[in-house]
This record gives sequence, structure tokens and C-alpha cells, in this order.
Amino acid sequence: MSDRQAKIRELARAALAEDRVDYFIGWKQAYNPSEMIPAFVRSADEVDQLVWNPLAHHNLTAFLKRKMPDPPNARIGICVKGCDSRTLVALLQEELVDKERIYVVGVPCDGIVNRRRIEKEFADEVVDISFAGDTVTAVTRSGESKEFAKGDLLFDHCRTCRYPNPFYADDMAADPIVEPDDRTPMWGPIEEFEALSPAEKDAKIAEAFETCIRCFACIHACPVCWCWDQCVNRCRQPALVGQRVDTKENLMFQMVHMFHVAGRCPSCGACDRACPVEIPLYLLHRKMNKELYDMLGFEPGVSLEEKPIFQTFDVNDPFGEH
Amino acid sequence: MAQATHTKQAAGTTTTDAGDSVKVVGIVCNWCSYAGADGAGTARMKQEYELRLLRVPCTGRIDPLFALKAFEKGADGVLISGCHPGDCHYSEGNYYARRKFELLDRMLPHLGIEPDRFKYTWVSASEAARWQKVVNEFVGKVKALGPREGRAL
Repeated sequence: MSDRQAKIRELARAALAEDRVDYFIGWKQAYNPSEMIPAFVRSADEVDQLVWNPLAHHNLTAFLKRKMPDPPNARIGICVKGCDSRTLVALLQEELVDKERIYVVGVPCDGIVNRRRIEKEFADEVVDISFAGDTVTAVTRSGESKEFAKGDLLFDHCRTCRYPNPFYADDMAADPIVEPDDRTPMWGPIEEFEALSPAEKDAKIAEAFETCIRCFACIHACPVCWCWDQCVNRCRQPALVGQRVDTKENLMFQMVHMFHVAGRCPSCGACDRACPVEIPLYLLHRKMNKELYDMLGFEPGVSLEEKPIFQTFDVNDPFGEH
Repeated sequence: MAQATHTKQAAGTTTTDAGDSVKVVGIVCNWCSYAGADGAGTARMKQEYELRLLRVPCTGRIDPLFALKAFEKGADGVLISGCHPGDCHYSEGNYYARRKFELLDRMLPHLGIEPDRFKYTWVSASEAARWQKVVNEFVGKVKALGPREGRAL
């Protein structure tokens, strides 16, 4: 792990020192050392704050959709994991990011630890999380300490990950790790949900979306949801989503997000992790990807040449009446 | 249901309450399905009357969210119809649309909406008889399911 961290620092230092980038986006420790936050490094002597460990969950490509137009000529260095690179590819496919002005450091990823799972094991605040092999040790403010197996703490989408190595990178922070031979996607908890009856699904969806406060965190954290001021979720005309706070409006709000990223969202899980009220957004986004895969054998963000599927068509699409 | 009956009575019409039990929204393209529906009407073909038609320039204009919004606002069924693939007035609008509708069709059951409550199909301007059949079959299925009440969406 620390090898990758050292290599990220080395590559970032070289890029900044040689003035190939104006700033470099990576991960660093938060004020609380058990948390990670995104880091913007602007000079070579600041690169030592960059950190890589299994808590580096942020999909940093979300900053590209925001930063690319402004400042207009910025050259940006960025770290991507396997899933992050798929969102980067989706942005490149749509020419929303200029390939010439980014420097991408790919980080092969063994899975990201869900910090919320650790937090729930303690009554007190977790102040330190350390990693040794497959063991994760968490320590609270009052000194209580527990050990976990890393495998138990991974995000669901990491357990079913088929693309641990970045697709698109200028330099790699480590040699690619062994990838699964079988790239058939796995959908995890979606299959359980599908087995429910319409009434049960309805009840579960209603329960899940009841608590949404429409803070836009899922949309801001999403690398491929980039309409900003033009977002129909923010406007009153057309009044697709109302101001009333209830399950229906909340669900409409989420459906806007889901349908607008369809064909570009690789289920990186950034929305899930950003949600302050822990709404299981994967229920919508992974289901959508599952259906796209069933419909057209399509996986988002795995080829630079491909177009997002809703921006193109095939007269022989194998569905609907002919 | 009681509310719907009340509105009808206030408007001075007499209807049986069974017919008022569901609301179905039809979103149709101007060039084919609307003309087909017009043909069916002109020919006085008997159709289920719970369907309310919305005319749009092309199925390519239809965002899947329109259908979701209709469900959210209380529709019991949504029917989308346009030109047959290959016959689009704008050449390719319905090819783009088809992908979106297929995804919507697959997502709706996931939200607890029964598959029979949504249908997308193609009816040309000359297919009045087909329009009648599509409407009667679809609305019949929605009626069999009854109104949606107190649902998530």
C-alpha cells in the first residue's frame, strides 16, 4: 500500500516540479486521521500530504466536471482508481474533459473500506484506523480498539468489482493487479431486491427515499452528472420535481439523476457514499446498469471509442415491437 | 374513486363508477399515433375512454421522466406510442426513444409499479384498428389492476 503512496507522491512531485500540471488532485488525511478527504496540491513541496490507503473512497473525477472549464487553461493532475477511471472515460467520451490538459495517475485498487461500517461498531468517535495486511485496526477517542478483517468492511461494489485497474491512465502508481478472468458483472444485493413482490418493493423504496433531504450531495459527488444550473432538479420550469418534501418528490428527484446518468454511470458508488442519510442509491443505479447490460450488453466507461448508449442507436436494437 | 365520480356528477354527466376507476395517460407522436387515434375516432371505433392523450412532436421528445411524473401525479397507467421504427417523421427520433423506453419499462417494476401499467408501442397513421386494439387491451389490463393508491411513486 505504501508503495503506491510513495509512487503517487513521486509522480505528483515530478509533474509539479516540471510544470506539467498546475495542480494535482489526490487524497489526504482529514483533521481526523481516520478519515480521508480530497487534496489539491499546488506545489512540489506539498506533495507529502498525499496519502493512499483503503479509505481513499472519493471519486476525484467529480472535480474535473467542475474544474475543467474554470480556470479555462488549467492543467490538472489526478489520481484515479479502477471505477473512477470508468467515469473519467465517460467524461472523455463526451468530450467534457480535454485529454491534453489532464495528467492521470492510475492506482490499482484492492477494494475500499466502508468507514461507516467501522463507525457503527463503536459508540465513541473513531480517531485512528490502521491497516496491516488484511487486518484493520480502529481506535476510538476513549482508547477502545477493535480489529476487523478487511474483507468484511469492503463496500458492496468493491466485492463485486470486475475492473480493479484503471482503464485510462498516463502513469500507473503500481503494476496492475490480477484481474478476474470472468468479466461478467455481478450485481450483489440487487438480486435479493428483485425477488420481492411489487407491494414489498414499493414499501421498501418508499422507506428508503422517505428520508432524502435533497441536499444534492449525490449529484455533486457524481462525476457524470454535470448540468449544474441547467439541472431540471433545480428549476421551477419545467416543474418536474416539486418543492414538496415527500417520498414521491424525493423519488422523482432521484429518478432525474438516475435517468440522466444512464449509459455513463458505472456504479462507482460515489453517490451512495456522499449521502448523509444513507439512502441505498445503488438500488436504482446498479439496477439501471444491470438492465442496460441485459438490453445491450453495455458496460459504461470501458472504451474510449464507444459513445454513451443513449446518444446513439442501432436500427436492429433487439427490443420493442418491430 | 369517490372523488372522480363526484367530479363527473358535478359536470352533469352520468357514468358508472367502474369506468371512472382508473386514469391512463397516453403520450403519442403527432405524425403517426395521434393521426391513428384520430382515424379511430373518426371511424367511431369503440374505445376505452379512460385514456387521456398528450400529443408531442416525436417520441424522441419524450423523456422517460414524463411517464414517471404521470405516475407520480396519480396516473394508473402510461401508454407511449409513436411511428414504427424506420417510419419516424424525423427519420430517427424513435430509434433513440426506443432505448429510453426499454430502460424505463425495465425500471418500473423495480419501483413497485406493475409491468402492465406501462407500455410502449408503435401505431401508424393508417392503423386505426390497431390503435383501438392497443388502447382496449392496455386500458383493460390497467382496469384489472385497479387504481394505484398510497404508492411510493
